[in-house]
Amino acid sequence: MNSSDVDILLVDDSQDDVDLTLHALRSENLANHIFVARDGEEALDFLFCSGPHAERSFDHPPKLVLLDLKMPKVDGMQVLKRVKGDPRTRAIPVVLMTSSREERDLVSGYNMGVNSYIQKPVDFEEFRKMVKLLGLYWLLVNRPLVGQSMPRAAGQAK
Amino acid sequence: MNPSFHLLIVDDNPADVSLVREGLAEAAYRGEIDRVGDGAEALAFLNRSGNFGRAVTPDLILLDLNLPKLDGLAVLAAIRAAPELRRIPVVIFSTSQLSRDITRSYELGANCYVTKPGNLTDFFSALKAIDRFWFGSVRLPSRAE
Amino acid sequence: MSAAGTKAALQELPPSQAKLLLVVEDSAADAALMLRELRKDHCDVLATVVQTAVEFEQQLKQRRPEVILADYNLGGWSGMETLEILRREGLDIPVIIVTGALGDVLAVECIKQGATDYVLKDGLARLPEVIRRALREKTERTLRHHMEEDLARKVDELARSNAELEQFAYVASHDLQEPLRMVTAYTQLLGQRYRGKLDETADQFMAYAIEGAQRMQVLILDLLAFSRVGRQEMAPTTVDSNAVMKEALHILNAAIQESGAVVTYGELPAVLANSTQLLQVFQNLIGNAIKFRGKQPPCISVQAEKNDRHWRFSVSDNGIGIAPEQTENIFVVFHRLHTRKEYPGNGIGLAICRKIIARNGGKIWAESKDGAGTTFHFTIPLPATGETQGPPL
Repeated sequence: MNSSDVDILLVDDSQDDVDLTLHALRSENLANHIFVARDGEEALDFLFCSGPHAERSFDHPPKLVLLDLKMPKVDGMQVLKRVKGDPRTRAIPVVLMTSSREERDLVSGYNMGVNSYIQKPVDFEEFRKMVKLLGLYWLLVNRPLVGQSMPRAAGQAK
Repeated sequence: MNPSFHLLIVDDNPADVSLVREGLAEAAYRGEIDRVGDGAEALAFLNRSGNFGRAVTPDLILLDLNLPKLDGLAVLAAIRAAPELRRIPVVIFSTSQLSRDITRSYELGANCYVTKPGNLTDFFSALKAIDRFWFGSVRLPSRAE
Repeated sequence: MSAAGTKAALQELPPSQAKLLLVVEDSAADAALMLRELRKDHCDVLATVVQTAVEFEQQLKQRRPEVILADYNLGGWSGMETLEILRREGLDIPVIIVTGALGDVLAVECIKQGATDYVLKDGLARLPEVIRRALREKTERTLRHHMEEDLARKVDELARSNAELEQFAYVASHDLQEPLRMVTAYTQLLGQRYRGKLDETADQFMAYAIEGAQRMQVLILDLLAFSRVGRQEMAPTTVDSNAVMKEALHILNAAIQESGAVVTYGELPAVLANSTQLLQVFQNLIGNAIKFRGKQPPCISVQAEKNDRHWRFSVSDNGIGIAPEQTENIFVVFHRLHTRKEYPGNGIGLAICRKIIARNGGKIWAESKDGAGTTFHFTIPLPATGETQGPPL
């Protein structure tokens, strides 16, 4: 998959949650262009076009970032802070999806500019419904950030 | 739906505000709806100044862009600059489909951007989706104080 | 003879016909010879003679000459200096250098430096013809210059007028959307709220109002799309038309499924075009092919062929066809061949296609027999190497 076509960047270290999320999005036909990052560091490399993702361009941001809070190496709050703190990435919608019930995280998340904060339902089925609603809302009702949308001839400079 | 939700609509077109009320009623939204007609009033409401001394801080703001006195983006910037207001989710609700408006809104910290649909069915669907998402699924920040 | 005397002797023709000649010559005798040649040949000139650079400049200001005769060798200066002075003053007046002896090299040098022509003092018989030719060329030059200015001004006006019209169409359709949205929404709301609660007539009235409002909305959106074609600033880029084709089919997926349409296409090329607009063209043409189908499921084929000037795309279908005398009309804005009941739509899709293709330097046309399918052809010019392709039609 061309890394400039990514619609959703899913950042989660839990394989179960990732599988569930992908399954839910797939059932709504929203799963075609999803990139999964296993931790905050990989997410940051992806979004800031560095490290293994150096070929990516800031002109092709994902339409949505689904971000878990508790992750090894670099956690969700740190990712959020960097994304919303940098003018090159600040406009990208970020949805925190977390099992954390911490009120403190909630307020600091919004203060930092998170676009919405979702509690991951414990129930399997509720989780699935939540993800569907999320996908539908953010990709269909919401107007996504406009990046490049048209196919180009191969070899064309960006 | 939690009956204690407070929604603030910022829109200078009474016909549109009325449509939003109808749409939310159809969506079975049971919370409070406050409305202001221009950008200056919006800030006065949120700061509880002037006539708005008894205003309640909203849980969600539906913000139009084309407003008299102070336009939507300026209102948004002011909200994001104020420590006690910046956490309030703001949904841009505008007829504009211009990519520069969309990008600028996200850059200034809008939570999301919804274009006012041209026909009634889509309009009501959009409001239903907004209600379901923001008042049903999202965890909203507690009011500052 | 003095300069004044010379001047007096040559006031022979009515000033209105006579061309003003300025002679730069320090030898009165030489001046007299030149003027005699002109008189002999009935050359219509009104001459003034000057000797120094200062006098020259004064005369330039007093009465602007139409042609200048200058001796190459003057006491202390050269007739070639007049060219410098003219350049400085920004004046375009033909200068003819007169000289005793001039090697070819020097003569060419004079011409290179801006002299219009030269005449030898022992070949003064040529003088009248040289002057006439110089004046003729000057007149032609001036005329051409005016025509070019005129043309440039007209092109400017036309461009401005076009821009204003497009701006107007855009603003009008844009501004109309808002009140229209209100009318549409509230007539629909009225319908929903009160249908069956007033009387049958009221229900009918509401239905008509709603339908009218909805049609207006679509019309305005179409007009907006049409006027937008001119406003898009995006410069053409190299576009893979295979990818654009796939995108169009993706967008038309629902219509394709519903009609059972089969769309096939050959290897499509990379072309120089605006990708969004190319998508619009594919979408319109294939969408039409699906819409205007006969009893059978639509069978649509898209091909591309190259010649030395352009790519020619063809979109063929097995639909209801178009009467040959209508194949031009269909491209007219809002022109429809069928009633709205038979086939929905406003009749702007093809007008938009034509505008897009024309702006891109190509042509679009249709071939059809009534009842026997249609093929739409459109061309996209190859990237030109220097050669410009004029606007079509």
